[in-house]
Amino acid sequence: MKLCEFVRPASLSQARASLRKLGPKGMPLAGGTALHFMPGKTPVSAVDLTHLGLSYIRQKGNFFEIGAATPLSDIQRYRGPRWAMHEICRRISTHQIRNVSTIGGNICRVFPWADLPVVLLAMNARMVIYSGKLKEMDADEFFSSQPARLFRNGDLLTAVKIPVLKAQHGFGSVKATRNAAAFSMVTIAALLELKGGVIAAARVAAGSAIPFPKRLRSVEAALTGKEPSAETFRAAAALAGTDAKWCKQEGMSAEYVAGLAEVSIVDALERAAEFARGRTA
Amino acid sequence: MKRHELAKNFKQVNTSVTKIDAMQLALGKDSYVADFLPKDALVIKMLWSPHAHARIKKLDVSKAEKMPGVKCVLWHGNVPRIVHCTAGQGFPEPSPYDTFMFDNKVRFVGDRVAAVAAETEEQALAALEAIKVEYELLKPVFTLAEAMAPGAPVIHDEPEAHVPIPITYEPKKNLVAHVACEAGSFKKGMAEADFTFDETYETPYAQHCPIEPYTSMAQMTPAGRILITTSTQVPFHCRRIVARTLGIPVQKIRVVKPRIGGGFGCKQEILLEDVTAMFALRTGRPCLWRFDREETFRTGRTRHPFHIRLRTGVKKDGTITAIALECINNTGAYGGHGLTVVSCSGGKTLPLYHCDNILFDGKSYYTNLPVGGAYRGFGATQAFFAIESLMDHMAEAIGMDPLKFRQLNHIRPGEGSPIFQALGEGREGVPMTVGSNALGECIVQGAEAAGWEKRTDWRGKTGRYRRGIGMCCLMQGSSIPDIDMGAATIKINEDGSFNLNVGATDLGTGSDTVLAQIAAEELETATDKMIVYSSDTDMTPFDVGAYASSTTYLSGEAVRKAAADAKRQILATGAEMLGLKVEEVHCEDAHVLNADGSKKVSYSDIANYSLYQKNQYQIIGTASHITKKSPPPFAAHFAEVEVDTLTGFVKVLNYVSTIDCGTAVNPALCEGQTEGGTLNGISYALTEEYLFDEKGKMQNASFADYHIYSMRDRPNIKAILVPSYEDTGPFGAKSVSEICINGPAPAIGNAIYNATGARLNEFPFTPEKVLKAIKAVKK
Amino acid sequence: MKTNTCSVSLSINGEKKTFATRPDEKLLDLLRREGYKGTKYGCGQGTCGACTVIMDGRAVYACLLYSMQAEGRKVRTIESMGTYDKPAPIQQELVAAGAVQCGYCIPGIIMSATALMETEKDISDEVAKEYMDGNLCRCTGYEKIWVALRRTLDRAAAEPAKKASPKGGKK
Repeated sequence: MKLCEFVRPASLSQARASLRKLGPKGMPLAGGTALHFMPGKTPVSAVDLTHLGLSYIRQKGNFFEIGAATPLSDIQRYRGPRWAMHEICRRISTHQIRNVSTIGGNICRVFPWADLPVVLLAMNARMVIYSGKLKEMDADEFFSSQPARLFRNGDLLTAVKIPVLKAQHGFGSVKATRNAAAFSMVTIAALLELKGGVIAAARVAAGSAIPFPKRLRSVEAALTGKEPSAETFRAAAALAGTDAKWCKQEGMSAEYVAGLAEVSIVDALERAAEFARGRTA
Repeated sequence: MKRHELAKNFKQVNTSVTKIDAMQLALGKDSYVADFLPKDALVIKMLWSPHAHARIKKLDVSKAEKMPGVKCVLWHGNVPRIVHCTAGQGFPEPSPYDTFMFDNKVRFVGDRVAAVAAETEEQALAALEAIKVEYELLKPVFTLAEAMAPGAPVIHDEPEAHVPIPITYEPKKNLVAHVACEAGSFKKGMAEADFTFDETYETPYAQHCPIEPYTSMAQMTPAGRILITTSTQVPFHCRRIVARTLGIPVQKIRVVKPRIGGGFGCKQEILLEDVTAMFALRTGRPCLWRFDREETFRTGRTRHPFHIRLRTGVKKDGTITAIALECINNTGAYGGHGLTVVSCSGGKTLPLYHCDNILFDGKSYYTNLPVGGAYRGFGATQAFFAIESLMDHMAEAIGMDPLKFRQLNHIRPGEGSPIFQALGEGREGVPMTVGSNALGECIVQGAEAAGWEKRTDWRGKTGRYRRGIGMCCLMQGSSIPDIDMGAATIKINEDGSFNLNVGATDLGTGSDTVLAQIAAEELETATDKMIVYSSDTDMTPFDVGAYASSTTYLSGEAVRKAAADAKRQILATGAEMLGLKVEEVHCEDAHVLNADGSKKVSYSDIANYSLYQKNQYQIIGTASHITKKSPPPFAAHFAEVEVDTLTGFVKVLNYVSTIDCGTAVNPALCEGQTEGGTLNGISYALTEEYLFDEKGKMQNASFADYHIYSMRDRPNIKAILVPSYEDTGPFGAKSVSEICINGPAPAIGNAIYNATGARLNEFPFTPEKVLKAIKAVKK
Repeated sequence: MKTNTCSVSLSINGEKKTFATRPDEKLLDLLRREGYKGTKYGCGQGTCGACTVIMDGRAVYACLLYSMQAEGRKVRTIESMGTYDKPAPIQQELVAAGAVQCGYCIPGIIMSATALMETEKDISDEVAKEYMDGNLCRCTGYEKIWVALRRTLDRAAAEPAKKASPKGGKK
């Protein structure tokens, strides 16, 4: 696409109105880094969302609320009780990209290599969408298919709410890459709840090596009720193939990637279990 | 850093003098080609072939020519059809003349089709889309096996293709080059061995990835000549080859190289300047052509992939009885550098170890893939992967420590090798005995720094993450003897400063500084008294350019001789001014003085006297140099790795690069070359590769998908300079820049073996390959 | 399809300026066109760092920003950093350490390092590497760049804190 107009609305409602007026010729613009992955010459008008007060991180009761236009580097630097978002954010691309790329930009139009959708699925995050008024949608529904579908009519993502991890809950993620800044070969995120020595609940999500990020339900089912041991994790990870069809990556076979995913799932679960047992994030 | 005994009195050389242009670059001053863009410059864009092998049946540029802002369109129908070679080599080139500015055939995805010069980039790109091309697709050749097969499609079937010197060239068989030699009898040597080996190795494509992409600008001067300002390693070859391809005299062209943003060999090529110059000539406007990053990957020159068969024989006592090195390189769609790279794969490696029976066979073939060019290491990189991997294998068979095995067998000072004469670069080589050689000391110092003593066998290692240490020994060369020439002039100014004009090409290596140090040492003055101007075909004397590790050893000696020439004149005038005989005076600290120092006169006084006052003349020294040998630098590398045995991921923890480069003229710059080349070698071994689709298109043409290391990825690299003294080099110097890139692939490969027992015969050592090899290990 | 010209107003190296531009012009192209040529083109895709500038205190890729995204913002380029007579500490250290080879990556590295020093206190190796991970160098292997950076950080930590004031836009 080709930028032919730059609009800077003064409020959220103005932004939505502009987008509704522009229709398919309008495009919300936060950091803008994703625009460079959209080739072609279709003229679009960019509606700038970076002056609407949507860049913030705050804890409100049982949730952290991150404004949709918050750059990843802010999320990387933030520290809060049992905060875990920095782990993945510091692994996304490079410093200059993290300074400009926003959480909203990473999840409103999901590219195959995106890490944040995987993390937010695991964390059971809630997205706040403005459609004239604010409404919340959980991650499972938001990422049930390409989220861009939700924003074609001018609606906007305003914030992402992430539950504060309670005690006995732990989060772990693994991003397998060739170099620090490379696109992920496999991204795994896991959230475990431990109770009475066993896994009471598990959310395990995967991305990058599959067409679209998703939860691995068979893996989750194989974890629930079991002890958080290496054997449990390996047995559960071995089921990942029933949930996900792994693709070849970077010249390496799908078979290899499936094996890598299995190892990464075990690693992510180990980390989540450590976290849950009380290691500080 | 310890100084060699013979270097201990040097004042300018063997000192880490500040690089002359460092502050200019750190301040961001206008320095590179694109910084000098005139406001009225046109933008050039090229239509590249989407097909690997096709004839152009029809090409219609009429619509494009009429589009807004378009000033000129070039294609095979409106430019001279003059066959030439794009490789930056001495004339006549040891490479096929198989290239045209524009041809009616395309030979790889990324080959030239037609070009546009327009007022803006947008207009140029729009015009490209209006060019109509009809192709007749031809069967492509994508592998060496396909290229060599009887009845294979002929990539260069044009009648004009030929070689300008009598070397093997059979384009009908896609054979670009063949060079072979034998010393002793390989068959006999194998019969004497207790253990014999026969292994095959593959080395991959890579791109140099200079951070400044190919950039070239041309404009007409008021006098009607063409001024080419270009990011090149070879300004003089550029001038000659552009003259040929445009069909105009050399006299009409001036080539200037400003600062350039890296080259590593890919800019030893005349890849842009012919088209840029033609546009300037046709439009009368300045024209800029800058490759974007994708074009640099696809169309830019690359490292030749090699297929290597290595056979050796070894006795229980460690004697290597036979070596047969058979190398075949894939030179891609055009043949420049094909012969010289394959020659160097034997010539710059086989002398390293004693062996009475050595057989070498080197071939180069065309394919319809990106074009191999000159890349740091130049064939030695590829061959050392095979040789140094097999050295470890041999050592294990006879139960010897691989370090001791190498210590036993490596070439010593004063020794020669039949290979030096047998393998030159296009011609016969030059017989040579090795003068300076501190390889023994490199091995010892490197082993200590790397903790070689604590190395244990892989069979005892357990756990998911396993560590290993591997090593290799290396050599390279310094210049191409009897073939390459460099020259310098140096003249004095009133304040005792000097203008040093050299053809030699600084591509960021710091050669301007190194040459200034050499001149200053010879002239007994300070390096900062030198004003260096380099690489301007009008204003500086000839130099072949920056390649073959020749700048310090060859151009440096030309500079020293020119400085000595100027010094003779300074002494004569100084003596005259002091009323003494020339034999009674000497130079010291920018003065001419008598033995006891009671009478002296400064260089500044001498300059004023000789320029203005009496018997006036310009004190100016001029000299040229051809080398008579190519003394090898030597190195020993040690890599410590950690392997994740569940995923196959390999991490380099520590890397030690020792180097004997004779006298290190500027130790900081020598370390910088060693550190940079080593890291390049590490990513070449682990993460760099060209991924092609089934149509021969390179798929990962960006830094996002072609992985080179950032500051966050880098392992600890320790460069250790081990001094020696090369009598034939300026103040004892040899080369330093290429050798270091040869080490990481074999050293890391050997380290992976030491960690896991897995041997890999091809790289990059991707996680999948490593994991597969680990699973195949039998305890 | 018509492309409009429009204008963008921003502070560049401390000076408020207004430039003619187009909605699809990249900040890198505008900067170089207007004479700030220390900022380099290396890839145009936000992968090499040669075009790094500081915008509102953050290191960013000028090739990935549209010029209009700089509207009303403060941009700093390498031209703000120092002079021959008074180079900035990071420039002095890079030169002294022998860390400048071809130099093409250096302005970008200087800007990223500057953003690091102006944002973080008590800079560990890990944090420093995260700030510098978007600047590729092919010449040096990063060894001497790292030495120079570490020296500059240690020097800055030893000095009393002062707010960096951008110099007037010297081209």
